[in-house]
Amino acid sequence: MSASLVGSVVFLKIAEFARRTASEQARLRAQLEAVIAVVTAEIDPESRIVLEAADGAAVVLIDDPRAALRLAQRALTAAAAGLPLTAGLNHGALQLSGRKGAEGLTGDGIAVAANIAEFASSSRLLASRAFREALADAAPGREAMLVPAGNFTDAGLRAHEVFGPNDGGLARRRRRYSAASVVLIVAFVGAGFTWRATHEPRAPFLSALITKYPYVGELVQRVRH
Amino acid sequence: MAKKTTKIGRYRILDELGRGAMGIVYKAEDPNLDRLVALKTIILPEDAEEHGEYRKRFFMEAKAAGKLNHPNIVTTFDCGEHEGMAYLAMELLEGIDLRTRMTKQGVTALEAVEIARQVAEGLGYAHERGVVHRDVKPGNIMLNGGGKAKIMDFGLARMRMADHKTSTGMVLGTPRYMSPEQISGQPVDQRSDIFSLGIVLYEMLTGTRLFSGENIEQVQHSITQTDHLPPTRVVPGLPAMLDFVVARALKKDPTVRYQDAYELAADLETCLAELRGQEVTTEPSGDKSRTVKMEAGRDKASDAPPARAIAIDTRLPISRLIDSTAAVKRIKNASSEELTRLPRRVGLLRRVARDAAVRRLFVVAVFAGFAGFYIALV
Repeated sequence: MSASLVGSVVFLKIAEFARRTASEQARLRAQLEAVIAVVTAEIDPESRIVLEAADGAAVVLIDDPRAALRLAQRALTAAAAGLPLTAGLNHGALQLSGRKGAEGLTGDGIAVAANIAEFASSSRLLASRAFREALADAAPGREAMLVPAGNFTDAGLRAHEVFGPNDGGLARRRRRYSAASVVLIVAFVGAGFTWRATHEPRAPFLSALITKYPYVGELVQRVRH
Repeated sequence: MAKKTTKIGRYRILDELGRGAMGIVYKAEDPNLDRLVALKTIILPEDAEEHGEYRKRFFMEAKAAGKLNHPNIVTTFDCGEHEGMAYLAMELLEGIDLRTRMTKQGVTALEAVEIARQVAEGLGYAHERGVVHRDVKPGNIMLNGGGKAKIMDFGLARMRMADHKTSTGMVLGTPRYMSPEQISGQPVDQRSDIFSLGIVLYEMLTGTRLFSGENIEQVQHSITQTDHLPPTRVVPGLPAMLDFVVARALKKDPTVRYQDAYELAADLETCLAELRGQEVTTEPSGDKSRTVKMEAGRDKASDAPPARAIAIDTRLPISRLIDSTAAVKRIKNASSEELTRLPRRVGLLRRVARDAAVRRLFVVAVFAGFAGFYIALV
């Protein structure tokens, strides 16, 4: 039986795995499995599938790209002590197939994530544009955490635009929006004053203001002198 | 009736040990040293030009093999030519070859790893001296009663063909045990022997044939394209590290294979320690299945492809170590639309509703607008 789904794939690849000695490979693999066990513990078992790859592992998150990003970041942090990992994130089509007890997943979702993980340098996380869009859909605004990190062409001559995490991205975006708010306030209030001044040449509004707040009149006098 | 050979060179023939494609192997006596030897004869081509070339190569390879003095390599004592055939006088071993042993008795995991380790040591020694075997296979590994493995026929695969033939891409060796580069007719080095030893190790551990086919094209395809199943999948209970060792020895790309037979021997030594540890752990309690199961579940090499080789239609198996049955069940039970929703473009309304920064900006804009309106008109 086969079933289709669209999900977020976190491909965790052990860097330079093939070039290591067998004992080191076994050690790194055991370490990776421990890391995956820890980082997937907080995720609902109904929402995640862990897959095996020869030089790493992939975790498919069915509903939540935010959880996928968090998982990848936690895995890289947890692995910082001696496990050279790279992470590739993608959101795409997948297919579950295989007899009961020996199921597996195929699909573009995995292929692109694997290619991105292969491209990423050690301890680095990179995500595809599809993942960034899925993140924006699930949590609008969170996509600002992923900033452009370049383009590359994989072995199948397929071009990928990749995005890397930027911790300051959200803060920068908040600052930009705050600045825009100030600009809007100044613009609207300024426009109000301008309109009034233009349409009432004797400035009754200013007179009314001076009458109500005498210190405004004194301020105007001082400015004139 | 053919005349029975009684003497070759100075060697007195005592018995016939076997026949092969290249010639006959005799048990012989060296009267000068009063020593028993295995005398391997090689029929030289009749064509004069070919004969000269072949003869030259034979003596060159025999000299190179004669320099190899290692406990895991059958020693070559002498070489010569007698009535149109070349011969090699080699150390006579009491025992059987690995092929016969595998067919008749089978090999335990501990023995398999020990044999492979010894062969790797022997190959490492030869490789250091620039000699590549080119035909590592069970039939070329002799086992004596004391558990010692010795590699036979160093350089003989190369003697079967003349230089000009090999340079045009003719393949030497036994197809089932050839490396991808060897069966494709490309130049080979020590890494090719490592691949062949990887096949021998795999077959000893699992008791199955790794690469087979009805003709050489099928075998070639199998060697160059087919990935093997990890040994622990075939024989549960083997140490997981053997999966990694075999996988590395059997890499199709020689650049990511073991580069050195000594390195392989060192890894096999670690596997041996683990296997001996298993024996010690399991023997006193007599409860072998329990220990084996624990070992089998731990960090196995995956039969899944590496990241570089993953294409759209490549299938990754679900991990055996982290349970994913709940999610699999959910996917199987879900309606087709439920889990296949693609991300939608985020419109202004959704942004205002769900993005705090945009919402704040929107509220500020509305209030500032009202303030401006009030200032202008009221």
